Parts: sequence; structure tokens; C-alpha cells
Amino acid sequence: MTLLPTTVVGSYSVPEWLERLKTEYYQRRISVQHLTEIHEVAIKAAVKDQELAGIDIVSDGELRRDNDVDYFLARIPGVHIPQRAKTDYFDYYDAEVTRPLPEHPETSLGLADDFRFTRQLTHRLIKFSFTGPFSLSRRIRDDAYTEPGELVRALARRLNAEARELATAGAGLLQIDEPFLAGYPEQVGLAVEAVNIVTEGVPVTWALHVCYGNRYARPSWEGHYDFLFPAVKAARVDQIVLEFARKGLDDLRLIRQHGWDKWLGLGVIDVKTAEVEAAELVASRIRRALEYMPAGRLMINPDCGLRHLAPEVARQKLRAMVTGVALVRTELTEGGKT
Amino acid sequence: MDVDLRPVRKLRESAAARSALGPIMEAVCASPADLARLRLVCDWIQYKQNFREAVVSRPVADTDTEIAFDLRRCADIDLAAHVKEALSGPPGLTLEPWVPGRDSCIWRFNQLYWQALSHWEQATGREYEQSLPGGESDARNTEAARELILELFRIWDELDARRALPEGLYVLELGVGNGNQARTWLDEFVQLDRRHGREYYHRLRYLMGDYSPHVLERAHQAVAHHGERVSALVVEATRPAVTLGFLAGKAFLVYISNVYDNLPTDELASIYGRTYQVETQAFLTEDDVEEIAGRFGTSRDGLVPLIDRLLRIGPELLSESSPAQFAGPGEAVAFWQAVWAALRLRERYVPLEGLDSYQVGPSLTGEILRPLIEGQGDVRMHVNNGALGSFTGTLPLLHPFGRIQCHDLFLTGRQQYRTGFYGPGKYDGSVVNWVNGPLLQLVASRRGFGVEFTPFRQRPGSNIVTLTAQARD
Repeated sequence: MTLLPTTVVGSYSVPEWLERLKTEYYQRRISVQHLTEIHEVAIKAAVKDQELAGIDIVSDGELRRDNDVDYFLARIPGVHIPQRAKTDYFDYYDAEVTRPLPEHPETSLGLADDFRFTRQLTHRLIKFSFTGPFSLSRRIRDDAYTEPGELVRALARRLNAEARELATAGAGLLQIDEPFLAGYPEQVGLAVEAVNIVTEGVPVTWALHVCYGNRYARPSWEGHYDFLFPAVKAARVDQIVLEFARKGLDDLRLIRQHGWDKWLGLGVIDVKTAEVEAAELVASRIRRALEYMPAGRLMINPDCGLRHLAPEVARQKLRAMVTGVALVRTELTEGGKT
Repeated sequence: MDVDLRPVRKLRESAAARSALGPIMEAVCASPADLARLRLVCDWIQYKQNFREAVVSRPVADTDTEIAFDLRRCADIDLAAHVKEALSGPPGLTLEPWVPGRDSCIWRFNQLYWQALSHWEQATGREYEQSLPGGESDARNTEAARELILELFRIWDELDARRALPEGLYVLELGVGNGNQARTWLDEFVQLDRRHGREYYHRLRYLMGDYSPHVLERAHQAVAHHGERVSALVVEATRPAVTLGFLAGKAFLVYISNVYDNLPTDELASIYGRTYQVETQAFLTEDDVEEIAGRFGTSRDGLVPLIDRLLRIGPELLSESSPAQFAGPGEAVAFWQAVWAALRLRERYVPLEGLDSYQVGPSLTGEILRPLIEGQGDVRMHVNNGALGSFTGTLPLLHPFGRIQCHDLFLTGRQQYRTGFYGPGKYDGSVVNWVNGPLLQLVASRRGFGVEFTPFRQRPGSNIVTLTAQARD
């Protein structure tokens, strides 16, 4: 793999016209078949955008997904969604479980098919992300389990089955997103336990993304990553993907303090502002991270998904990121620091 | 011919309103208008001071015409003559080209009112609050302030228990008036804080924002006894982020009272399934031109430049620069008041190519209006561009547990546009338009905020509505 590989966290810019079409689907103005085709065209464009920007490891932009939760909850057998109509596509469903989730359902969530679609579009490496069991559980009213952790574990088992299918389909890099975890720092142990259920026996490279939320391009919580450590060291993942551009790089100290010896996905692009970073700023963030991590264990990505950025802004930010990485790669190569 | 009778409540209440309908129809049918291409609209304009004649006509693109009647004034006038006059073309002295509502010179008058408020008040002998319904700003209501402060204490206590309470507790007031509302709020805060015993007052940062340094200065004096707890900032109400960017994510309360109804607005309309922008043109009638020009020693041709100078430099400098014409600021204010009282707006409907071709604000297209205006039949509504700019610029300032509380004239349902008149009207020297609440609700929703409207409980019967916005999900 190239030095300082560039990638995305997952979601890609959702243009205003696509938002409108997604909402029109819920208003019964376009059919599911048309919406599916629209999504496929949008995914092709998203992959192409990433390739043109020079991203090494691309994603499908999660453009089929209304938000970070509903796509999964709507497909997980046993999760009941009483009202599937939405005023706006981005709204969350109200979901509930009234009895324990079936342990061996016959239907899958279809994530492997999503991966296969992307696989045929590009020769580049693909990161495939899905929301983790802890965050999914936060959007479900639980009337089924006596112990709240049981729902999280049941969801994890369901996602483990899905991950196995993804691996069979050829996925090599899977990422678990836990955007809600920062709001429940005291439950990091449960979240890590569930992550390990998801990754169990799935022979791929695993990444874990923890941020402070990106709903409507706003952080849902504030704080520091202290809560993650040392618990996250027990997670059977190969990489943690964290946000640093918006919050500053102070939390890099945790990497050294706790001896994180796996990969770090370094967030160098603030996805909550339309202001495009200069390549030199990106480079300076990477240089700072290199004080804490060797280049051989550093992957470069935006803080979080790009969904709330306008398409042109997203493209410019990715280009800035790639250019900034190139600056540092040159320095490292010329300086013999690799 | 379509007939649109909007003031449904008045039609029940007022025999005069009902009795005008027959003569209106007679007058319209007796006119030379092509009835097949005519829309007839009846309003009840509750503002005694407004920008309309009793009968006006509005071209709809180049093909149709709308004739609008103010039922309140139709009882005792020669309707046939008024219809004929309304249809006969544009008499009077125009003060500007056709422009979208938000660009009309009425907003320059509005701005002048707030900038030269002391001169206006001196001339009228009463403070602006006395011109408000009820005689005072609703923000001065102690009970409302107490309720809000206690809710803040509850949130702060919770955050403090989780060690998540920041050191600085920011409260922002936008549009500070004469400072009475800030004084009421802060005085109440001090008392409640003493009782609460957590010493939040010492962490409080009360920011007063207003676009007028003069108004700010006066307001600041009203809260001088709160010393360094209070800061005053010049803020452009429609673009708060320009000055208040540093506050992003920090404000626990943004308090806004009677501001949004006083900010520039466009109007859009859907007529026969097509969307139009309402363009306006300010003018003075020939009778008013003659009266004002004669009274203030100028010619018809000299009137427009003189008004423009007034709007640019204000009454004080106008009197200083033209002492022969205006012996002092009082005379210049008299000129201002005469022009303001006489000021009229004519309107026309200009087709929009598409909602997305209409720019609500710098980063918001008319697309957002689609759920409100499309497929709803004929409707005309305010866009409240200034209020939306202010609102959308304020939302990012909120702490995740913060809220905007706003007392203003809000419509709370889009159907209200079918049953009433919501501006523009004149409040003293300022402009008033009710605020399109459903639009604010929609815009907030797209940004992850929930908006609720409740009647202003502290003054039953008031038209004032309380908007509360806070993060959802």
C-alpha cells in the first residue's frame, strides 16, 4: 500500500437535487425503481469524483442511505418501524423492537450487493462502512430485552453475519461507524464488546470510526477522546478513524499515552465547514501527527462523512487533502524517513 | 374571474364588509377590465397606516390583472371611480424602479427610523414602545423572563452535574430596543440566581446585539448596573454570524423580541399553478406630492432627490445642510413623517422560471418553499428573507442544549395566508410584516432543529406568538 494512503470516512456529498428526489420518493412522487436507478447514477458519480481527486481508497458515498441509521434499521429483521412515511428523507424513523431479534434470519441486509455494485465501478481499493451496533441501538425503542446491552449484542451478531457476506463478496476494508458513542462515554466498554462481536471471524481489515456526530453538519456532543482509551485497545480492529481537523490535534497525545500500536485514520478535513483547507494546512496536520505515529501506520481521511458539503466543496476538499498528503509524501521520501 | 375573499372572520363579524361585496362586483363589472382575465381579491387591512389605496390593481405577468380591495375602506367610497382609477395606470411620483419587496425603499425608511429614533420620538412626544400593541414590548414581561431563566437553570444544573457546563454562560439578545427588556431579564436573573444559589450570574455573558450604535448605547445605559456581565455589539440582524461567529455552539439562549416582523421581505405567489414574485414600486400620489412639495418648499422634481438625501443622511444632517428649508431637525422630521405617511406601494406579479431560480438568501434557494407554495392552490405568502437570514444565521450559535426564543407576529399555519392580511403595514415609522412561521419551521427542520409555536401566555389575546427552536434528534 502506498505511503499515507488517502481515503474517505464513508458518506459523500448529497446534492440538493438528490435530497429533493429522495424526499419525493417518500411523498410517492417517484417509484422505488427510479430511486434505485438515481442512486446508482449518483454512486457512479461519487466514485468518479473520488478517483479524479486522487483518493486511494474510495467508497460508494453511502448515497443509498437516508442517514446513518435508517438504511440498516429498515432492513434488520425484527426491528419494527410503525411509520415509514417521512416529511423529509433525512429524518430518522422511529424504530422499536418488541421481541428479541431473530438470531438466524433468512434475509440479509443487502450490504454485500451494495459492495458488489461498487466493486464493478472501480479498480481502486474500497472502504465499506456501516453503522455500528451501539449507535443503531440508540435509535431503537427497546421493549424486548431486560438488559439494554442485549439489544446491542443482538445487533452486533446481525452485523457480523452481514460482514461475513461482505467478506465473501470481496470486501477487504470494512469500517464500523459509531457516531453516537461520544454521547455515551460511560458505555464505551459495551460498544467495544459489540464491535468485537461484529468483527469476530471476518478476515478483513477492520476500521472503527468514532466522531462527535455529524447530524446536519453539527457536532452532537463535545469533549475529548479520553473516554475511548484504554477501552478501545481491546477492540479487535486494525485502525481507529478519528476527527482532528475540527477539534484540533491535542488528542493525539492519547495515541502516545496509551500506546496505540495499530493504524490511525487521521481526520485532516473539517466536514462541518464549507471553507476549503489549504493543502499546506493538511500537510501541517499530518506532520504534527507524525510526531506521534509512524507514517507506516497513518491513513489520511476527512474528519467524517462529506454528506453535508456541497458537491464542489467536497471535491475541492478532497483535492486539498490529496495535495497535502503529496507534500508530506515527498518530504518523507526525500528525507528518507520512510 | 376568480374571487378570493380572504378576511373570513371579518365577513362574519362586519356587516359593512359583507355589504361592500355587492357594490364591488357592480364596480368591477362596470369597468372595462376583461373579466375573463381578472382576479378579484378582498382583504381587510388591519393597519390604519399602510401602503395601499382602498382599491389597487396588479398586473399578473402581461396577461392578467388582479384587483384588490381593502374591505375596511370600501363602505363609504365611490367604488366605480376607485376601480377606474386603479385600472387607469400608474399616476403619482415614483420613488424607485420595480423591485422585489425586500429591496424597496420602504426598508430605507425603516432603517432610518431605528437610526434616528430619538428625533422621531422627540417629534411625536412618545417612545416607540408606546406604538406597539399593548404599549410595551412583550420582552419586558417579568413572568416570561422568569420562566425562561428557571429553565436555563435546570439545563445548567444538569450539565454541571455531568461536568459539561462551560465556564462562560452566553445569552444573546438580538434587537435590543431601549434596553428595557435586557434590564427586566437581567434584574430577574440576579434575583432568581440568589435564590438558586449556584452563582450563575458570575458566569453569565449577556450580549446585546443591534445594528444601531445609537440604540445600543441607550440600551447599554439601561443595564449599566450589570457592569461587565453585559457586552454590546453592533450586529447586522439579518447576518448575525458576521459579528457573532465566535459564539458558534455556545449560546444557551438567543432572545429575540419583535425583530423579525421588522426585517425586509419578499412575497411570492402561486396563481393558477404558476409561481410569481411580487415586485413593488414605492410612489406618492399626485395629491400628496403637491401637498408635501408645497409645505416644504420644494418642487415636484426636487422631491425625489430630497427624500433620497433624507434617507442617506437623516433628519439632523438634512436640517444642517439645508437650514433654509429645514430650520432644525424637527422640521426635517416633519418632512420625513409627511413622506412616510403618504408613501404607497404598487405591485405586480412577475413569473419565476422555477423556485430554484429564486434566491431566498445567499445560501438558500426558493426550493425550500416548494412544500409550502406548490400544490396549494392560489396563495400569496411572505418569504421574510431578512428574518430567515437572521434565523438561519442564529441557529449555529446555539449550544447543543441551547434555544432560540422569539416573540413576534408569526403565522403558525400556511392556511392563514388564505384568511387574512399580514403586511406590510406601518407601525409608527417602521414597517411590519407578519412572519411566515411554517417557513421558519421548515428551514429549521432541514437543519436539525425543532420549532414550536405557542401563544404568548403572558398577555392573552395578543397577536404575539412565541417561537422556540432547539436541536432535535
